[in-house]
Amino acid sequence: MNAIVYILLAAGLIFFGGSTLAAFYWAAKTGQFRNLEDGSKSIFDADEPVGTATDAFADKNADRPLRRGAIALKS
Amino acid sequence: MSATTTAHSSTAAPAMDKAERARIDESTRVPVLLFFGSAVFWLLVGTLFALLASFKMNAPHLLDQWGWLTFGRVRPAHLNAVAYGWASSAAIGTSLWLMARLCRTPLRHSKLLICAAIFWNIGVLLGIFGILSGDSRSIEWLEFPNYASLMLFVAFGLIAVWAVIMFRFRQPGHVYVSQWYLLAAFIWFPWLYSTANILLNFEPIQGGAQGAVNWWYGHNALGLWFTPIGLAAAYYFIPKVLGRPIHSYYLSILGFWSLALFYSWNGMHHLIGGPFPAWMVSASVVASIMMFIPVITTAINHHMTVRGNFGALKWSPTLRFTVFGAMCYTLASVQGSFMAIPLLNKITHFTHYTVGHAHLGLYAFFTMIMFGSMYYIMPRVVGWEWPSARLIRWHFWLVAIGIGVMVVALTIGGILQGLALLDPGITFMASLDYTKPWLFLRSGSGILLTAGHIVFATSFTLLLLKAGTRREGPTLFGTDQGREPEPIAP
Repeated sequence: MNAIVYILLAAGLIFFGGSTLAAFYWAAKTGQFRNLEDGSKSIFDADEPVGTATDAFADKNADRPLRRGAIALKS
Repeated sequence: MSATTTAHSSTAAPAMDKAERARIDESTRVPVLLFFGSAVFWLLVGTLFALLASFKMNAPHLLDQWGWLTFGRVRPAHLNAVAYGWASSAAIGTSLWLMARLCRTPLRHSKLLICAAIFWNIGVLLGIFGILSGDSRSIEWLEFPNYASLMLFVAFGLIAVWAVIMFRFRQPGHVYVSQWYLLAAFIWFPWLYSTANILLNFEPIQGGAQGAVNWWYGHNALGLWFTPIGLAAAYYFIPKVLGRPIHSYYLSILGFWSLALFYSWNGMHHLIGGPFPAWMVSASVVASIMMFIPVITTAINHHMTVRGNFGALKWSPTLRFTVFGAMCYTLASVQGSFMAIPLLNKITHFTHYTVGHAHLGLYAFFTMIMFGSMYYIMPRVVGWEWPSARLIRWHFWLVAIGIGVMVVALTIGGILQGLALLDPGITFMASLDYTKPWLFLRSGSGILLTAGHIVFATSFTLLLLKAGTRREGPTLFGTDQGREPEPIAP
């Protein structure tokens, strides 16, 4: 019983340690570490663009920046 | 007051429009509400145990005629109710919603998650009941008896499988930093949890090694479960609410991978001075100091993203809670690194200082970010705005002042206690006298926190019941004051 448990734990160690390394390798290979500028903008969309504050409610009729006036982006 | 939003070139990911975003948010409704609802329930239960445990510090014989309400049971009941009941449920709810948004695809297999939520709640209920009835395992962070921890493991496992499936079927495009944090938490934690439970409760190893496993788990519960999810939320909500990309995305990625590298080594710093090989403790102290890298990168990023726009904290509930939490993350982590230095650890170890640190981390950082996330997610999931800005404002100030007072009181009380413990001229019983006034202050802060949680639960319930009239805009602070929000600086 004990032996099985230890084998399982060792296998887990190798698997989870390995999966972290694999994830790092995958990220590097698929270009996740390139174009970081674009990456940081991946959470914005055409209708929720950079420069629009969104503590706003995605209601049917509330597709605008903020109730109390749009947020102006100084440029 | 026209919006002068500059058109940025589109990113690699496919654009998502309002309808699609609403569809994705809606797809998360049932599981997210299940987890959030149970989180709020367990928050109230955990707070009740916390208050009782704190009052027992002031009046040791309070309610001790009942075995199941003695300090040794109420205190772990508090820890487990808030850690597994509140914090983990809120974390899972937030993560489900974030995963769907970041994968840009509606949530799949919600039945899997509903099952997980049921297993989770039965597990926590059985666990708390077990602890109160004297079935506790007496291992900090793992007090749940085996029948309860098995339930939690099943839930963890289901969620991990779900996360991998979601990630597999995501829309193409960049994997945002928050998603790295979420996947890390979902995939590492079930393994940590099961390994620690097997080695301590199912097939217990012998002797001192139990302590090592205990704190390897205990610290990783914070470092590889709560921290990544809290940071994932902060890295999403701060830029998203402000409409401003993260200051340095490079640093955020560096922060993630350095956290992955260093955090799992930290646990042994709980055992400084204990009967452990010196190299084990030393390696952990070094790793604790190395934590400055992920912490400072995160601190720089969050600060620089908000910089110039701190005025936004005046109107956005989400931002106010999240930024408060992000700042406390830096404080708690820097404090934690210093506490790992043996010279300082000698004073703070075994004192209330550690309790203050734990609350700075799990409450001022993590819980505040969860509140912030829920303020953003709930209206989008339910399709109804928060009923009252005033309730949110009360919630914020009650808990912000409450946790502030608690951390300061326990820090000062802990240092005095630690110095007294080190002084051979002071007896152990006399050293406790130093803590008394600070423990009263702690109970006072506990009352503030309890009031804050009741306000939050009220607000949450009113939203679920869709109380009041339908509102068009978001519930912001100070909407009625007619002041314009300050412009967002680029």
